[in-house]
Amino acid sequence: MRTTFAAAIAGAAILVAAAPTRAHHAFSAEFDISKPLKLQGTLRKWEMINPHSWFHVDVKMPDGTVVPWLIEGGSPNQLIRLGVTKNTLTMGTEFIIEGYQARDGTNKAVGRNFQFADGRTLFLGGSAPGATGADKP
Amino acid sequence: MRHCLTRALLASAGVTAVLSLAVVPAGGQARAYRAPRSADGKPNLSGIWQALTEAYWDIEAHSAAPGAVLELGASNAIPGGLGIVDGPIPYTPQALAKKKENFANRLKLDPEIRCYLPGVPRATYMPYPFQVIQTPTYIMVVHTFARAVRTIYMTDHKEAPADSWMGWSNGRWDGETLVVDSTGFLDSTWFDRAGNFHSDALHVVERFTATSPDHLAYEATIEDPKVFTRPWKISLPLYRRTERNAQLLEFNCIPFAEDLIYGHLRKEPAR
Amino acid sequence: MFHRFLLSTVLGGVLAAALVAAGGGVSQAQTSPAKKWTVPRTPDGQPDLQGFWNNTTYTPLQRPNGVNKEYYTAEEAVEMIKRAAADEAEQTVPGTVEDVHYDFTQFGLDRSQAPLAQNLRTSLIVDPADGKLPPLTEEGRRRQRARAEARKRAGGPTDAVQNQSLSVRCILMDRNGPPMLAGAYNNNYQIVQAPGYVMILVEMLHGPRIIPIDGRAQLPPAIRQLEGSSRGRWDGDTLVVETTNFTDATGFQGSSENMRLTERFTRVDAETMLYRFTVDDPSTWTRPWSAEVPWRKAVGPLFEHACHEGNYGLYNTLAGARAQDKREAEASASKPSNERSDP
Repeated sequence: MRTTFAAAIAGAAILVAAAPTRAHHAFSAEFDISKPLKLQGTLRKWEMINPHSWFHVDVKMPDGTVVPWLIEGGSPNQLIRLGVTKNTLTMGTEFIIEGYQARDGTNKAVGRNFQFADGRTLFLGGSAPGATGADKP
Repeated sequence: MRHCLTRALLASAGVTAVLSLAVVPAGGQARAYRAPRSADGKPNLSGIWQALTEAYWDIEAHSAAPGAVLELGASNAIPGGLGIVDGPIPYTPQALAKKKENFANRLKLDPEIRCYLPGVPRATYMPYPFQVIQTPTYIMVVHTFARAVRTIYMTDHKEAPADSWMGWSNGRWDGETLVVDSTGFLDSTWFDRAGNFHSDALHVVERFTATSPDHLAYEATIEDPKVFTRPWKISLPLYRRTERNAQLLEFNCIPFAEDLIYGHLRKEPAR
Repeated sequence: MFHRFLLSTVLGGVLAAALVAAGGGVSQAQTSPAKKWTVPRTPDGQPDLQGFWNNTTYTPLQRPNGVNKEYYTAEEAVEMIKRAAADEAEQTVPGTVEDVHYDFTQFGLDRSQAPLAQNLRTSLIVDPADGKLPPLTEEGRRRQRARAEARKRAGGPTDAVQNQSLSVRCILMDRNGPPMLAGAYNNNYQIVQAPGYVMILVEMLHGPRIIPIDGRAQLPPAIRQLEGSSRGRWDGDTLVVETTNFTDATGFQGSSENMRLTERFTRVDAETMLYRFTVDDPSTWTRPWSAEVPWRKAVGPLFEHACHEGNYGLYNTLAGARAQDKREAEASASKPSNERSDP
């Protein structure tokens, strides 16, 4: 079906929020509010990408099997300005994720909270490896 | 008789004139062209440039061949190209097999089709203009396709904090030549539409040298120990877009690729 | 997680810093008489606006209902910011829609962790005087209805990717505009100037704005662009950018393709730039309207925002909706026929 450019992207005018809100694709459309979870696993990889970063985590199940999970986190851009790099998190680090599972039923979740086993948060909001604090000029 | 002599003299004068304006190959014996200077005394490479080459189809020497879309017939067929590589790309045997697989599945796999950022050096020889905006600390390169932007850091060189589609570029001057050293690439881009590819170990060193008011000589050395047995080079001229009001037009191609990426997830099948 | 230490740093900065005499953005009575600051020049003589800037704000575009003045007092502004920051950072209630999200503060993405320019205004809109958008014209109202009807016909937001916003699809975000307005985070810009051009790299979408300042003609009317086409010139120390040639799909606050946008960038001091814009769209509003936003100097870099390339979330949302449809269809099919509800 041939469409004009305008028709191809029609219908969705930008609405600038009166007060800038956490204007995202509704995470509640991607993740299931009725499926909260808490996972403990080891970090295999942190994809430092936009619009949201993704943590590849190996979760050990009670029966000993290891199941790979994919956890959605925030854009890495501000952390990068604070000195975080692809070398900041050590692969194999164990950490705990509280979040909500994906609606499509796969092993994906949004990470509501990322913590090391000792309770420290992964980046900010605690003693964060590599982060030097908010960039106040 | 005099008429012939005049013509011969004019012809030779013409040849002389052409020679004095000739593009001098990089490393050539003749005196190198000296570009006008920017405010900080460096060669000024600002402007709108474009490659004129069939390399965006296939960077290696290749013959004409059918395109991958039947309905587009000759208009999407692959024209022959002399190539911009100094010989066949030195793939490892496994990588060569992957390249062939890429080619066979290019309609599904070519990131260009999905309006993904084209990477380096592919962006340089895509058939669209790009703009160089040069300052002492940053040289910005803006491409038409997918509005890809490269930031070339001229001072305060850092390592890539994380990997990206267009890489992390540190630049310096070597006489008349801008040398750009880029790493920090994701493995997601191709070099052309023929499936030539790289890994996240890609390292590209580019050299941009003005050879006349309206030409740049461009060379890129490509290194990737996970894919190639040794470094290899591409080279091609870049031409200034000399139209009086030359400018980049917006090519936000995402809407043109969405049905390819998300169409199968429609509630009702796409019409 | 409410990071009181971070918030108190912001507030400390807000109270301790000299109120910015942002060219009319702050009432004169509240500023200390400051020495006139001279903007440095680029080598080719342009006023130097270069560097990294951030336009994060707590100030809404339109004046909130019940607020009838143009400026807050410093104390009121601090209170408002405190409330907004607390709202954003407080532990959300598990099991609520707000909770289905990563914690902004852990990634430094909440507004209290962004550079903030002082702004005592009660709205970004400065004209009309009531701080609100002017009324729509008849044509504007018709277009609004037509767009709403088209959206309804298109179905639910997850029925097709085209039913999602341009922002979610990584095509166009408020930070790009133009006009360029802050969103929730990553409200950073890099300005680079060379002879004949001002370039603004918008962090979100890694979006380039190349603004020629050489006096060239505008694009022909046949060429329409989502971000329009911009032409700049210097008016003293102010960069004036006129943008036209928008598409019908741009729709800034309901605008038409005929919108004419004028932006003004004036560097007020080393840390602050005043960004003003006027929207003139007689097809949409009964009169032009203007807004003003102070920008704050920030630090780089702007890491590549390859939004479309990494947009797994959008893919997952659509896939999730189809999985949901399938579950519902199967559940319905397995019910005895007299219990099934008609579609």
